Amino acid sequence: MLDLIVTNRFAITAVVLFGIGLLNVMVQKNLIKKVVGFNIMDSAVFLLLASLGYVDGGTAPIVGDVGFHPLYINPIPSGLVLTGIVVSVSITAFALALIQRVYRRYGTIELDELLERAKKEAD
Amino acid sequence: MNKTEKNWKSQFVSWVNGEREPKDRTLFVMERRHIAPPRPTPEEQDRRERHRLYRFLHGYPLAALIICAVLVCVLLTAVAAMPDFGDPDNPTNNEVAEHYLEYSYEETGAANVVTGMILSYRGFDTLGESCVLFLAVSCVTLLLRREPGCDEEDPDELRRRRQEDELRRRNPDVILTQAAKLLIPCIFLFAVYVLLHGEESPGGGFSGGTILGCGLILCSSAYGPENVRRFFNSRIFSAVRTFGLLLYAGLYGFYIFMGANGLEYGASFTMAIDLAVGLVVACTVYGFFALFSRGEI
Repeated sequence: MLDLIVTNRFAITAVVLFGIGLLNVMVQKNLIKKVVGFNIMDSAVFLLLASLGYVDGGTAPIVGDVGFHPLYINPIPSGLVLTGIVVSVSITAFALALIQRVYRRYGTIELDELLERAKKEAD
Repeated sequence: MNKTEKNWKSQFVSWVNGEREPKDRTLFVMERRHIAPPRPTPEEQDRRERHRLYRFLHGYPLAALIICAVLVCVLLTAVAAMPDFGDPDNPTNNEVAEHYLEYSYEETGAANVVTGMILSYRGFDTLGESCVLFLAVSCVTLLLRREPGCDEEDPDELRRRRQEDELRRRNPDVILTQAAKLLIPCIFLFAVYVLLHGEESPGGGFSGGTILGCGLILCSSAYGPENVRRFFNSRIFSAVRTFGLLLYAGLYGFYIFMGANGLEYGASFTMAIDLAVGLVVACTVYGFFALFSRGEI
C-alpha cells in the first residue's frame, strides 16, 4: 500500500488537487474564487499529464546534445500540457472579463447576493 | 376492446394531424375541477423564496463535499490500477513517441522534439491553440473595451482615473523606471533568443511570446501607456496578431500542400512558424494586461 502511494505519488497528488479545485468551484460564493478553483483543477490535470510522460533517468527531449544512448522523456504529454495551458489561460481571461462585467452591472460578485438581485430585477 | 383500440388509433391520428390536443378527456376534466390554492401575498412569496434560497445555500456545501469525496475515491481507485511512475515500459511510451524521438531531427529539422512535434507533426493542433488565444483576446476586448464618449460608467470614476494618470505622469516611480531601463533591453533580447532558438533549445513560440509580452507590460507600467501607444497602438496591435495567425495558417497550409515531409528548409520553416506563434502570444499577453487594467490597448 505504502509502496503504491510512493510510486504513484504524482497521480495521487493530482487527484487530491483535482478534488480540492472541484470543491472550490462548487462551494465558494465569490466568483473569482471559483475561477481560482478552476485553475487548481487545471494544474492537477497538467501534473498528471506531465508525470505520465516521465521516464526514470530521462532528460529533456532535445536530440543530439547528450552522449551515447541517451534516455529521453516522452515528448507527447509535454505537447498536450502546452495545449492545456493555452486553453486554461484563455478561459481564465474570458471568465474574469465576464466577472468584471457582472461587477459593473450589479456591484457585487458574491453569488447569493447576485441571485437575490437578479430575482428582484426579474420580478 | 376493438372499439377502444380503434378509438385510440383515431385519436392518435387526429393528434398527429394536429386536430386535437393530446390530452385524455378524463384528465382534462380533472384538471378543470382542480381548485387553485389562494395566491400567496407578495411578502409571503418573497419570504418563502428567501427561505428556499437559504435552505439551498446551506444544504449545498454538504452535498458538494460528498460529491467531491466520492469522485476523489473513484479516481484514487483508478490511480491504484495505473502503471508505475517513470517506468520506461509504460504503455504511454509507445512507438509514436519513439518515432518522434528518432526521426524528428531529420523530418522537421528541429532538435527540440517538443517544438518539432507541436509545430510540424501536430501543427493543426497548435493552429487551433493560436485561434483560441486570438478569440480569447477578441472576446475580452468585446467585454471590457471602454469606448470614449458613449460610456455607461459614471464620470466620477473617469475623473478619478484621469487624476491618477496625471499624478503618475508628474511623479514617476524612480525605482521602477531605473530598473526598467536596465531590464527592458535584456528582456527583449532574451525574448528574441527564446523565440528564434526554440527548435534547438528549450523554448519556442509560446514561451518566447510570453516573455515578449511581459517586456511590453513592464514598458507600459514603467513609462505609462501613452508612451507604449506611440509605437504599439490598437491598430498595430490588431494588425500584428492577425498577421501572426495568418502567417501561421499560410505557412502551415503551404507545408501541408508540399507534402509535409522532410523539406530541406525544415529548420527555417519551424523558426518562421515559431515567430508567428510568438507574435500571437505576445499580443495576447499584453492585450490581457492592457484590457484588464485600463480597458484599452
